[in-house]
Amino acid sequence: MSVFIKYNKPGSLGTIFNVQVLWRFNSTTAETVRKEEDEEFRVLDILKKRDRQQKRTARKVNIQPDRADRMATDQNWGNVWPGPKTFHPSSVPLPLRQGYVPKGQAPPGKKANAELMKIPNFLHLTPPAIKTQCEAIKKYCTEWPKLLNSEDAIEKHYPVEVITSDYCHASPTIRNPLARIVHLRVKLSTLNLDKHAKDKFLRLVGDCYDEKTDFVTFVSDRCPMRKQNLDYVNYLLTACYHESWNVEEWEKEKCEDDMEYYDWDNNASKKSLVNWHLRCNNQEINLTDEEYKNYDISKISNANGYKEAVSSLMNDGENEDTVKNYGSAVRKLFGLPERKFVQS
Amino acid sequence: MFSRNLRNICRRYSQNVTFRTVEASPAQQNDNQIGLFYTMDKNLSKKLFGQGGLPKSYMKQTKTFTETSLMVRQPALDVIECIKSSDLNQPAIRYVLYGEMGTGKTLTLAHLIHYAHDDGFLIVHVPGVSQWLWKVPRLKEMSNSQTREGFVDLPLDAAAWLLHFKSQNQVLLKNEDLKISKEYVWSKRETTPAGAPLADLVEQGIARVKYACDVIDALVYEIKQLSNNNKCKTFVAVDGYNCFFYPRTRLSTPTKKVVMSEEVSLTTSFMEITKNDWKNGVIVVTVEDISVPRDHQESYLPRYLLYKKGFEHLDPFVPVKVDRYSEKEFLTCASYYRDRLWLRGPEQLESELKLASACNPYKFMELCAPL
Amino acid sequence: MRNLTLILLNRCQSQLSRCAFNSTVKITQNRFYSRPTSFPDYYQNPIFRKEDQAKLIENNDLSKLATTPFRPPASYETSSVYHDPIVNKVINHVMEDGKKQLARSLVEKAFENIKRIQIERYHLATTPEEKSKIILSPKDVLHKAIENCKPLLQLTPIKRGGITYQVPGPITEKRSLFLAIKWLLDAANEKDRTVHFPEQFAWELLDAANNTGKVVKRKQDLHRQCEANRAYAHYRWQ
Repeated sequence: MSVFIKYNKPGSLGTIFNVQVLWRFNSTTAETVRKEEDEEFRVLDILKKRDRQQKRTARKVNIQPDRADRMATDQNWGNVWPGPKTFHPSSVPLPLRQGYVPKGQAPPGKKANAELMKIPNFLHLTPPAIKTQCEAIKKYCTEWPKLLNSEDAIEKHYPVEVITSDYCHASPTIRNPLARIVHLRVKLSTLNLDKHAKDKFLRLVGDCYDEKTDFVTFVSDRCPMRKQNLDYVNYLLTACYHESWNVEEWEKEKCEDDMEYYDWDNNASKKSLVNWHLRCNNQEINLTDEEYKNYDISKISNANGYKEAVSSLMNDGENEDTVKNYGSAVRKLFGLPERKFVQS
Repeated sequence: MFSRNLRNICRRYSQNVTFRTVEASPAQQNDNQIGLFYTMDKNLSKKLFGQGGLPKSYMKQTKTFTETSLMVRQPALDVIECIKSSDLNQPAIRYVLYGEMGTGKTLTLAHLIHYAHDDGFLIVHVPGVSQWLWKVPRLKEMSNSQTREGFVDLPLDAAAWLLHFKSQNQVLLKNEDLKISKEYVWSKRETTPAGAPLADLVEQGIARVKYACDVIDALVYEIKQLSNNNKCKTFVAVDGYNCFFYPRTRLSTPTKKVVMSEEVSLTTSFMEITKNDWKNGVIVVTVEDISVPRDHQESYLPRYLLYKKGFEHLDPFVPVKVDRYSEKEFLTCASYYRDRLWLRGPEQLESELKLASACNPYKFMELCAPL
Repeated sequence: MRNLTLILLNRCQSQLSRCAFNSTVKITQNRFYSRPTSFPDYYQNPIFRKEDQAKLIENNDLSKLATTPFRPPASYETSSVYHDPIVNKVINHVMEDGKKQLARSLVEKAFENIKRIQIERYHLATTPEEKSKIILSPKDVLHKAIENCKPLLQLTPIKRGGITYQVPGPITEKRSLFLAIKWLLDAANEKDRTVHFPEQFAWELLDAANNTGKVVKRKQDLHRQCEANRAYAHYRWQ
């Protein structure tokens, strides 16, 4: 045993077993030889100084070869490792190594290796095992609908998409807290909302809407169970949908100042343009608001460009380009020369 | 000896680039003179800008340089060309100068005023609105208006402005044609009869500071009338116009109530003259972000600075951007500074300053100062 | 005794001139004091001036430095055309509580004032000779002012027999530069509250560059005191 300890350095385990066996064999043979000699010639020990020391005989232990070594290569692995279980070195006939070692050394082998036992393993989830499991439960499944043969068809008939995640475990519990999270995804265009309802729906869902993909995504992780979260996202979708069709009393108070959209015809800009036009022709200015609104600007030359320039300035926000456009539109309106850009 | 050599080098260097033009009349300047400096007559500059109108830092420079030189730049020429090509019998066209801080909006305006003076316009020039409403001393002379309910007068500022108006229009005010159309009664004893010359009205305002704001109001009305009747043509220039539309002012009544900008009688007068319901006029205003407080300086573009109210008031207007120096302008400016001894040193300095100042005229001037 | 002082003075001057020579060579690079950094001592000060780098390339010394570790240059150590170590030094002396930006702006404003005054004088001068005498560059004015204010001797208090004597002795280049800048700033700070620092500083610099004014007088006073106390000079080594 002492040899074993001496050589028990990480990285040299492979040789240790051999050495152990060698030593055991040698020592037992040596002992038997010495015993025979004692019987042949007994020496009288007069001084009796040498105390009788009983020679310890090494216990003969019948060690079976490792189970992993005895496994057949064509065995059914599903029977060896039927379910989730902590790693056991003798059951796994693989030369596994795991663990941190200084540079240049090999990681320790699978025997007595806590590193391997700590981590979850998926040895019960080999493809053949999964296949047989699936085969076994197949008889409980119904047939896939024939008309749902493409992605588009699925999308059309089942626009609501629920995404959840399941987690495999080798630990004592099979629950993962992340499994409760539920995503519900639906394309906004499939909801068939009108202009007002769409606007309100977008305001209600806020950040949940992605403009690029047109998806509205509800995520819930507030309840402890998946079922509860699923109910909650369904409720959210239903509530938002129906609420967006409601028109409240105060929604009628929305006006131009909320700056949702700048309608040029309703605004002071048109009024001042019409006034300017009338003044140019020395006409009197006494129009009502309604008349201003319905005034036909096509009579005024270049007025349409001006209208577009003002609208873009207001709707797209002010920046160098819109201001420049506005400038050139006004210059055209007034009949002024275009601004020159001198090459420098 | 060393400095003389250096100066010779400077002179030789500055001669490589022509940076001056002898064309002192803005009406005659054309695209060939862009980027070149022209020198304003000393008496003229004193007459036009003696009471304000040029930035303080620029005034300092004119003293150091012993001359008032302006660079001929594209925005000014652009506006001049527009004025020339437009029909003055149409409603007055509004021009809005905008641009980053320090790019020369006020100096462009000064250039245009010079043009207007040479061209015989009656000049109505407000050098700094922000001095009236925002950048004010703690104790500012103000009183409640007696003629209009709920309005606040700034009599001293108004009188100072009348003085400015008088000195800018010395020649035109002597013209006998400019007569006022109706009688103004200031108090029991003081009246200005109909048919009196316009100069009388101005004198009244300067002499009786109490009525200065009302005089300005009357003056604005009369100028509009005169222009409509083709008696004169008028050039209105307002610096820092957007200050009229910033809702608050720094002024407060004795009861500690903050005065709104539309409650100042001067505001209404100058809003009146920037409308386009009169003829024979040109209106040029500048919008600057530094004339309003920090919380409204995010952009220098006109719509943002004027608010919706101001935009609708001016609309339709011609926005004219005053840009930073172009390559050529920067070079001529540098050689002008070298000529005026403001800039000295090796030639690499220019490229370094160009990067450091990003061709911003004001920053360039500032960076040259300690060199 | 007189001889001794003379020798002493001579020695000082020769030392000074040597220092000055050295400084003109070295001053473009070296900091006079170590900057608190996390870099070990064997890290060299950076060579950030283009002319120094050119000199290195010319002498083929660049390859020797290839493996030497260097500290990164500080923000004020630039290869800019208008970099000047003396100006940096003055800015650091003006600085209080680490407000470098303020100090810098004050010094630059003082320079601007100098420039305006000098340009005005230049325009007022009638003859070319007069014009050529005016130093227009504020940096040159500063350099000249500091050169004029540098003391050549200093007084050190030495205690002998219970009496403290003010003993004249030579001064290092570093300390004389320090004293010159300190005196200039002291003079500039001695002003009315209504006068701004840049104005006063500008006037002091112009005076000193002209070899007149408070600071130059202070230097001369010190020299006179040293001359008067020359009898104590032997206490330096006894």
